Amino acid sequence: MISIARLEKKFLSGDHAVMALQGIDLEVDRGEFFVLLGPSGSGKTTLLRCVAGLEKPDDGDITLNGRPVFSRSRRLCAAPEEREIGMVFQSYAIWPHLTVAENIGLVLTHGRARLSKKAATERIRESLALVQLENFEDRPARLLSGGQQQRVALARALAVNSALILMDEPLSNLDARLREEVRANIKRLAMQLGSTVLYVTHDQIEAMVLADRIAVMAHGEVLQVGNPFELYRRPANALVAEFFGSINWIGGQMREADCVESEFGRLCIDDARRHDGAVVVGIRPEDVRLERAFNAGENRIEGKVVRSTFLGDQVVTEVKVREKSLIAKSSPDAGHFAELVTVHLPKERLVVFPEQIAPPFV
Amino acid sequence: MKGRGWVVGIAAAALIPVLGLLLLVLWMGFWQNGPGEPVVYTLGHYRKIFTDPFTYKTFLNTVGFAATAVVVALLFAVPTAWLVERTDLPGKNLILMLVTLGALLPTFFTAMGWVFLLHPRIGIVNRFFIDLFALDHAPLNIASIVGMGWVEGLGLSSIAFIMVVATYRAMDPSLEEAARVHGLGILRTLRYVTLPLTFPGIIAASIYVFTIALSAFEVPAIIGMSNKIFTFSTFIFYKIQPLEELPSYGVAGAVSTVLIILALLLSWSYFGVLRFSHRYAVVTGKAYRPRLIELGRVRWVLAWFFLGFYFVVAKLLPFLLLIWAALLRYFQPPSWAALGQVSLNNFYGLPWKLLLHGAWNTFILMVAVPTLTLVVCLAISWTVLRSGLRWRLIFDAVAFLPHAVPHLILAIAALFATLFLLHNAFSLYGSLTLLIFVYTVSRISFATRIINNSLAQIHPELEEAAFVGGLKLLHVVRKILVPLLKPALVYAWIWMALLCYRELTMASVLVTSQSNVTLPMIVWGLWLGGSLNQAAAANLVVLAFMLPAILLYFIFGRRSRVTEAA
Repeated sequence: MISIARLEKKFLSGDHAVMALQGIDLEVDRGEFFVLLGPSGSGKTTLLRCVAGLEKPDDGDITLNGRPVFSRSRRLCAAPEEREIGMVFQSYAIWPHLTVAENIGLVLTHGRARLSKKAATERIRESLALVQLENFEDRPARLLSGGQQQRVALARALAVNSALILMDEPLSNLDARLREEVRANIKRLAMQLGSTVLYVTHDQIEAMVLADRIAVMAHGEVLQVGNPFELYRRPANALVAEFFGSINWIGGQMREADCVESEFGRLCIDDARRHDGAVVVGIRPEDVRLERAFNAGENRIEGKVVRSTFLGDQVVTEVKVREKSLIAKSSPDAGHFAELVTVHLPKERLVVFPEQIAPPFV
Repeated sequence: MKGRGWVVGIAAAALIPVLGLLLLVLWMGFWQNGPGEPVVYTLGHYRKIFTDPFTYKTFLNTVGFAATAVVVALLFAVPTAWLVERTDLPGKNLILMLVTLGALLPTFFTAMGWVFLLHPRIGIVNRFFIDLFALDHAPLNIASIVGMGWVEGLGLSSIAFIMVVATYRAMDPSLEEAARVHGLGILRTLRYVTLPLTFPGIIAASIYVFTIALSAFEVPAIIGMSNKIFTFSTFIFYKIQPLEELPSYGVAGAVSTVLIILALLLSWSYFGVLRFSHRYAVVTGKAYRPRLIELGRVRWVLAWFFLGFYFVVAKLLPFLLLIWAALLRYFQPPSWAALGQVSLNNFYGLPWKLLLHGAWNTFILMVAVPTLTLVVCLAISWTVLRSGLRWRLIFDAVAFLPHAVPHLILAIAALFATLFLLHNAFSLYGSLTLLIFVYTVSRISFATRIINNSLAQIHPELEEAAFVGGLKLLHVVRKILVPLLKPALVYAWIWMALLCYRELTMASVLVTSQSNVTLPMIVWGLWLGGSLNQAAAANLVVLAFMLPAILLYFIFGRRSRVTEAA
């Protein structure tokens, strides 16, 4: 449905150029909910705006639904109004001088479709029903609450084109409780209508709840594309692992396959990737096992409990292992841990990356 | 806070004269007798102006003049602001520079140029058409209400542009992007989204321009007065400096009062519309610039043709005509014969001694007025925003009055005071001190607004930290506030200095002797005396004197703060 190839975009800030997109390749399938995830400045919004036609890339190709809309080599750049999309903006972009119905009606009667007034009225009613805003037609848009504006923005995008919808952080201006509700609604509507959605967010949970697939972006590059499980369990590099949930890092040297000489001594690794030289080994806090009795054995090491915090659904324990802090999360049923524990780092849960792309704080 | 009393005192000392001058105008309108006689009150002046058909004619003249000015100013400002803010038109910096220069060019300067262009008898365009088609009268007449409105509108187009640009900047660009993305083309987006949303801002700019034009003095004085076409401002002026009869301060006071009420009503509606337009100004989380609309080469050329036409007509043509006129003994259209008469005699014949004296006076004004104004306005802003005083909003309201009240009227009130109230205590009449005082009063609104805007962005804790550290208020102002406000202060100082330089309206009333003469007054004196070509030469000399100050502005004061001036 969306096909992006070698897309490049640089911005001039002052007298030096900033590469906002450095050769992006992406394929989004029909009916897929695809999330662009990354910290601010990663280029995700720029990418979305390039697809919408609101930014002009410097190089590459973009094809929407089989139709090329941007191609540097063919000197093609379709205007935003020529691309068949619906879009929800971060600020919602609800026109304050119009009513709710007019906000949707304007794009139906004067946009690509040029519907008759009667057909437009029917479509407005349908789309407002989808977002549960029946009977709001004549309300002046500037009198709506933030949540209602957000729903009108969604209704407008759906009314114009429910087949391909772009969303730019649509939930970031809502309060936490409302955000969860709207998130569920967006997912339900997208599935019900079979829409293809390209969705930008910096919130990892939001991405995992919504996405069929996620592209993690940083510094204008796509670091990894995959479903939430793959990204969490098999991150392609340390940055993805770091951005996608919390993780403990352990430094070391890799000289033979399946084995790292680490700060904690010898660690066995299941991760098939082999990197010679300096590496970092990562393990998620919930994978760190704490055992009360002293056990010798593979990937087991003695630790000292610094602090144990009860959070209701889990217990977070900070353990000192050879002068290094390690965070472990365990079930509350396991209870608190005494001063000395055995820390078990299961080898099937360890990931290993070459040190040069590791986060600086290891 | 120690020292608060001092600051509030300075603010009050600056604002009490504002109120005093206003009350004086009201009082003047009820005064029957001439100066020196016992005071008798009367409603006669009001009866006279409301029954005199001449008043109504003047009223219609004034409204027609101001309305024409608004239309002319907006015809330039709205398209140009859109081109600068929303398209990829090249050469935007050049446009901004030309607009700024246009705002600085004295209006009396261009007005004179237009007389040489379009005067029914001597204007070269008229002469050209008369000769070409053997007409028996001039086709275009600058000495008319529409003609004067045209010149005033071209002069005010810079301010209108700056205000409309601010409206575009206050608008969330995603409102326009949402229209584009959902299928509305450039023109439909413009029609259904951009224009409706900027409409309140444009209306506000119109009211603002209309208010200025309503009390504008220079253009009606240069073009209209000698042709017996009066607007309110020239009518008032004529009443206190008539050619034949005795001055009539009573009638001037009554007309001024009416004009003040009109101006206050307009300012009130201006703020009403502005508040309405701010409802549309959505604050967004992201500060990205909207995607600029690609015009393509053909439309670039068309756009620059439009802009070029404007700059040539509004600024360059009057300028060239002045140079041409300055080189001739008698004004005549360019021809081989005329070229033979070109000489610098007009320059040799200028009253140089007077000019140098005027330059010295003008220089003193340019240094004293901005400095004094900044000191008192810093005190006013601090009182309004920081003092926590219960009456602080009254300070704010009074500081706004010099903006709404026509400056000509402020000057007349001050003249009246020096003539009849203070003449025994101080002899300010005909002194440079009087000019400094009235100029300062008239600039209070401008400077207060700029300092208010900047001070509001400085977190109060920056000062509180200094107070907690034991500094006195005076030191906090000097060591914390002034350095933080420096860009705004420098900008306001230079801008006010330039406004002082070109000030003719207030000078026309207050300059009563050679001792306090200013440069614009010398030019005007020559013009009124009928030596048009010498006036043109003097104008060029005055402009040459102004160049260093303009240079100073572009080096230190420019930034993007031009938008704040509106």
